[in-house]
Amino acid sequence: MSPTVSTAPSRGDRANVVTRAPGAWRTGWKKFKRNRLAVTGLIVLGFFILVALFTPLIAPYDPAKIDMMFPNLPAGSGNHLLGTDDLGRDIFSRLLYSSRISLLVGFSVAVAAVAIGTLIGAISGYFGGWIDSFFMRLVDVMNSIPLLFLNILVLAIFGSKFSYMILILSLTGWMSVARLVRGTFLQLREMQYVEAARAIGVSDWGIIFRHLLRNASAPIIVNATLMVGNAILSESGLSYLGLGIQMPQTSWGLMLSNAQAYMLIDPMQAVYPGLCILIVVLAVNFIGDGIRDAMDPRKKTLLTGRRFDRWRQSFLKSKT
Amino acid sequence: MTEYLIRRTLQSVLVLVLISLFTFMLIHAAPGGPRQIFLSPGLSPEVAKIQAHNMGLDRPLPLQYLSWVGDLLRGDLGYTFKNNIPVGEIIWPTVKNTMVLMGAAWLLSLVIAIPWGIYNSTAEYGLSDHTASFLSYIGFAMPTFWFGIILQEIFALKLDWLPLSDMYTIGKKGDIGNLIYHLVLPVTVLSLGFLAGYMKYARASMLEVLDQDYIRTARAKGLKERRVVFRHALRNALIPIITVIGLDLPILVSGAALTESVFNWPGMGRLFVQMAVAREYSVLMAIALITAVFVIVGNFVADIMYAIVDPRVKLSRRGGAAA
Repeated sequence: MSPTVSTAPSRGDRANVVTRAPGAWRTGWKKFKRNRLAVTGLIVLGFFILVALFTPLIAPYDPAKIDMMFPNLPAGSGNHLLGTDDLGRDIFSRLLYSSRISLLVGFSVAVAAVAIGTLIGAISGYFGGWIDSFFMRLVDVMNSIPLLFLNILVLAIFGSKFSYMILILSLTGWMSVARLVRGTFLQLREMQYVEAARAIGVSDWGIIFRHLLRNASAPIIVNATLMVGNAILSESGLSYLGLGIQMPQTSWGLMLSNAQAYMLIDPMQAVYPGLCILIVVLAVNFIGDGIRDAMDPRKKTLLTGRRFDRWRQSFLKSKT
Repeated sequence: MTEYLIRRTLQSVLVLVLISLFTFMLIHAAPGGPRQIFLSPGLSPEVAKIQAHNMGLDRPLPLQYLSWVGDLLRGDLGYTFKNNIPVGEIIWPTVKNTMVLMGAAWLLSLVIAIPWGIYNSTAEYGLSDHTASFLSYIGFAMPTFWFGIILQEIFALKLDWLPLSDMYTIGKKGDIGNLIYHLVLPVTVLSLGFLAGYMKYARASMLEVLDQDYIRTARAKGLKERRVVFRHALRNALIPIITVIGLDLPILVSGAALTESVFNWPGMGRLFVQMAVAREYSVLMAIALITAVFVIVGNFVADIMYAIVDPRVKLSRRGGAAA
């Protein structure tokens, strides 16, 4: 563990303390703001979201328009910013439209998986008993099947549809959240405030949603952010294997599987989509780590990275 | 210990039964049901009926399930629809190939990651630590198959140093040198992914131990830093690392569908993808079950190893750390 520093509140804070102590979210945001990587991630992700939202306005060409007269143009030629692929489709436009798919998959899967996982984890953690054993055996079973195999199996059986992909990625992604929420609930349900709430007649569901879930929300949010990245990676993998997004539509994974076939002719085609995936997932993971550090009450440091390093140097010097 | 072993074995068997039931139901929930999947297309209704009867598809579902499980227990994994080849004949060679690839990548990443992670815990926020954390960020965020494609472009096509794909050059099957030559690229790709996780884990585990009181005592009584790290800290830090390694054992058979597809490695992952596209359901069901068995055995081994390295863990106690 790094040594923790609690700094005296700055002048602005002191005024706040008198009226009202800053809440967990406020202090969290404050710590988040000082984390350079996390803020960079937020900006990059925001940029990608904006691009995805306004894709039809930005994209110079129809991403599915085939133009066999000009296949495999190099970047920058013939009004095509990044060139064309083997069927003469504009790569830049395809990248833009793919960002919509990836972000849509990432966020909807994360939301759905977290909702399922939270519900199951909350129920088994709060009620315990046979409900708990049932759900935990279910988690064991789900974790015993390699998830990529399960996704492939389901998409092969039921056909590769966009909605099926979101569904199956959510149904195979909830286990970690369920475990996490259950663990937190097992600890929290013994707390005195829960006992107090029960004593004044709050119903089980009231305790779960009003009291327990709020206290478990920080790790859930962190998990959800990391899940966005995982879902984007899974989508690209499935599309690369030909089981995800299908032809007239486009996705970064699908573009990569095309590009691999034309590696000898134009190696750059494989670079762009992969780079996009890498950047988006990296941004999401930075944000997730930033939130985790910001919400961790054990990390009291309100210093910036550089000032913390300087402080640490002088601390070490004083020690020797 | 024996009581724990019995309980644990029963639990594993239950999970296996549930998985087999789950896979079976999945096939039967498919649109059109197993009739459409298992029967050759374009049959007249009468012939289809006879074929369905021959394959036992007109029996009630529970009976079909039982006969499938019975066949499995006798080691009969079924036959493919195309050419009617026994499924086992297709699967077992690929299991071996996958183990070669994954074993090499896994061992390599362990050998690099654990010492590196331990070193980084003693020199926190140093150059080596920053490099490692940069690497693990990349390793977690990069699509492995993309990394594979890029390596192929650079080292196989541009520089022509290494083979593009496959396991052996044609005509050199079984040659160890040739195998290693083909292993370099896929192992690099897979190792980066493993490395990211293990390195972070080893570092975190060491840092947690190094922060404890008995380490301060050891330093206070004047032990050399080396002795503190290797004799006092490392022994305890290894406990969670060993558990994670045990839990990861199953990736030896399951982990590489994408990498195998990129490098055309004749392993089980690639077989699974090919069979999924060809809709060979009996092969898919068999692979899903085989990997599940490996996962369960892996978890079992992890629990037992945990008890061996950590004398505080008593397996017989209910609800203990190993439950």
